[in-house]
Amino acid sequence: MLNKLNRIRRDFNQWSLFTAAIGFFVAIPILTITVYLFDGVGDMWEHIVNYFLLEYIQNSIVLLIGTGILTTLLGTSSAWVISNYNFPLRSLLKWLLFLPLAIPSYILAYAYVGLLGNGGTLIGCLQTIGFSIQKIELMNIYGLIWVLSFSLFPYVYASSLAMFSSIPRSIRESSDLLGASNWRYLRSVAFPLASPAIISGLFLVFMEVLNDYGAAKYYGINTFTTGIFRTWTMLEDLQSAVYLSALLIVMVVIINSLVKWQRGSKSYAVKGSTDQLKSTDRIDLKGNKRLLVWTIIGMPILFGLILPLGQLFYWATLTYEKTFNIELLQIALQSFTIALVTTGLILLTSLALIYFSRWNHLKSLHFFKKVATIGYVIPGAIIGIGVIRSSQSFITFFDDVFSLEIGFIFYSSSVVLIYAYVFRFLAVVFHPLEANSLKVGKNISEASYLLNVGKIKTLFNIELPLLRTALLTSGILVFIDVLKELPLTLILKPYNVQTLAVKAYEYADDERVAEAALPALMLILTITISMAFISYLQKRDKLNI
Amino acid sequence: MVKYSILLLFTVSLIFSCKNSSEKTEQVQKQEITLYTHRHYDSDKVIFEKFEQETGIKINVVKASADELIQKLESEGNQSPADLLLTVDAGRLVRAKNKGLLQSVDSKVLDSTIPSYLKDQENQWFGLTKRARIIAYSKERVKPEELTTYEALTESQWKNKILIRASSNIYNQSLLASIIANNGKTAAKTWAEDIVTNFARVPKGNDRDQIKAILAGEGDLAIVNTYYIGKLLNSKDPVEVNAANAVGLFFPNQDDRGTHINISGIGVTKHAPNKANAIKFMEYLVSKEVQEIFAETNYEYPVNPSANTSELLISWGNFKEDQLSLTKLGELNKAAVITFDEVAWDKGPNAQ
Repeated sequence: MLNKLNRIRRDFNQWSLFTAAIGFFVAIPILTITVYLFDGVGDMWEHIVNYFLLEYIQNSIVLLIGTGILTTLLGTSSAWVISNYNFPLRSLLKWLLFLPLAIPSYILAYAYVGLLGNGGTLIGCLQTIGFSIQKIELMNIYGLIWVLSFSLFPYVYASSLAMFSSIPRSIRESSDLLGASNWRYLRSVAFPLASPAIISGLFLVFMEVLNDYGAAKYYGINTFTTGIFRTWTMLEDLQSAVYLSALLIVMVVIINSLVKWQRGSKSYAVKGSTDQLKSTDRIDLKGNKRLLVWTIIGMPILFGLILPLGQLFYWATLTYEKTFNIELLQIALQSFTIALVTTGLILLTSLALIYFSRWNHLKSLHFFKKVATIGYVIPGAIIGIGVIRSSQSFITFFDDVFSLEIGFIFYSSSVVLIYAYVFRFLAVVFHPLEANSLKVGKNISEASYLLNVGKIKTLFNIELPLLRTALLTSGILVFIDVLKELPLTLILKPYNVQTLAVKAYEYADDERVAEAALPALMLILTITISMAFISYLQKRDKLNI
Repeated sequence: MVKYSILLLFTVSLIFSCKNSSEKTEQVQKQEITLYTHRHYDSDKVIFEKFEQETGIKINVVKASADELIQKLESEGNQSPADLLLTVDAGRLVRAKNKGLLQSVDSKVLDSTIPSYLKDQENQWFGLTKRARIIAYSKERVKPEELTTYEALTESQWKNKILIRASSNIYNQSLLASIIANNGKTAAKTWAEDIVTNFARVPKGNDRDQIKAILAGEGDLAIVNTYYIGKLLNSKDPVEVNAANAVGLFFPNQDDRGTHINISGIGVTKHAPNKANAIKFMEYLVSKEVQEIFAETNYEYPVNPSANTSELLISWGNFKEDQLSLTKLGELNKAAVITFDEVAWDKGPNAQ
């Protein structure tokens, strides 16, 4: 015991304090929810176990496996082609492959029914060229896998693209010298090297799948998330809803430990001269091979982008007179502002959490890293409850102790909403950033410390510039996530704030999908512009991902 | 340079979002009311703007699902900025009342305008518009004479013919709750069991999708709300107009209790900071003029008997309403949900 205390005293430094403070601050909602667990299951629990639990687990597993396979196929194949070959339109296509992320999956789900359902647009086209086809049944679990995969594969694409493009020339050359074929190189060198990145992308896909509400509800698939909403709202049993969330978290912990187990103790730092660290030149493609490459890239762009966008544009032309006005532009500006502020805060929080906890030697504080990033897997609604309840106690505290009524500040500004976003999306930045900071390796930083440069200075002058690409990429991803976020925004947004995602949902929920098209397209446009901006910055920076 | 421009942009937006919030705290002093609503129709916006123009009272609108709004009200407690809760069914208002989130309102206008079965006994909530849940039938394959009641839909002639959405939908829950109230729990469960065996497919999609499925020949009958047919008929999407033209409307149970109706309704919250203005707004909503806007643009039936319904609603004809107390729908909502689960409603015809 004494030994342990001594060790804590020895390992404790100011960074331990900072880690604990940030970790705790971000983890408040989950701690609040945990308190609920001690009240036991609710009175509808038996009903849920009897009729639903097995179905929730089965459907969630089928969805995870299905989307896992499909997104890996789509994401890695396109990333491989983009990072290794030269062909016409390459840089445009490289960029287009990110764009399906801009379409919220529930909008994609509606758009696909508009395309392939009864009287669908695409079905109509097929009928005119002579196919006798009534509709393609999409509203089942396979349809859901299809829709989710095509809206989420860019996560895998982005992370594996960054990795494929940064494999040093020396590795490729060694592999060539040893006589390895292209395929062999991919299988035994590139893929294993990229697997941590692929898996961190897949992790994000899994979290989105487990969290999807709109698409699953519309297609009539019972999942944990729809179950949680159902239990909370229809069965009026918050306790059991919290227990379902706890089970969902258990599922995530299992996935997370699989990721950890896969990564093992491998370390990916690369040493060598600048020239050796440069990545390989891309191979020029001609003739048939070009066709193959275009097919590989065309598939995800066609089904994830062009077809659904076409349907949205069609709907928008039918409804724009009613839905386009100055208010819509204001809403777009508001969405943009909120997402930008949130992204900045999330980047700061992630960096602080990663580096403070690295500099702190107290191992037990790593617990906070896990807790603080778990927000990504908890359904928005449950986070909403956690955040409202904890801010409630905060307000009561102020009322009691200082007799200050600060409730209005909380309920009429975006403070609570942005805080909830930070909790919800920390993992989106945290995981890839941590993976990349591991890739940078400790050697460089340690060299800097040896030269008597302080930790903060090393962070800003050496580590951050090396992480710039990763910061930008994960920044874009989280920015998009915030713009698209729905259930949490619905609960926590103050009356004077409106986002494009909410506007689109309001129309769709009201069974006016065609009217939802314009706000959805505005959302997609906002995201596209911000992605173009960042890609412009990267070009100016002569960065190459 | 790039670094600084990003930093600048970030700072500007931070200031922008802070400025926004401080602005709003000042507004509390002004004449205004805050409305929590589950309705999000464009017609409502027009009505709100008219009210603002006529009275100078500003309306702050928070839109979310009724369940979330109730949660929000509960959590915010006595510091809630909300004055009014507006929902699309009576069940949620009953729930809000039972949780002590609403207060009684004393208004002669509301008392005299709204029929007693469309409001709360203690005047904690009031119906604003009515919607009927009816049977839409294929004009091509079904003769209206074949239809009678909700109960008759369980007959074997409708095997593989019936289209309806999933049980998570509040309109279905209220329909089953009304059947429980009228026929008893056991009979209602048997009804649900039997109707599931007549389903044409696994319940999916929304009310509009059921009507589209009739046009596509997937089934012959769909249980839907009236105003959706109005919306389909006036849609800009030709697919939707065709679907609506292919169906006829049948109001069931005309020879006994009447067709099941639900309301969109409103109540003043317990801790409303601007109660007087909130009541003024409610009275405005049931005025003849506003009630006619509801009927004209959103195809809902007005609760104010003096209001004219729109041409489309008149063309559907008059019908007898089930005058069951709407409070019952709220009380039996949970029983209805449990029954749906027990008969595996969402798994469709082949699960049993």
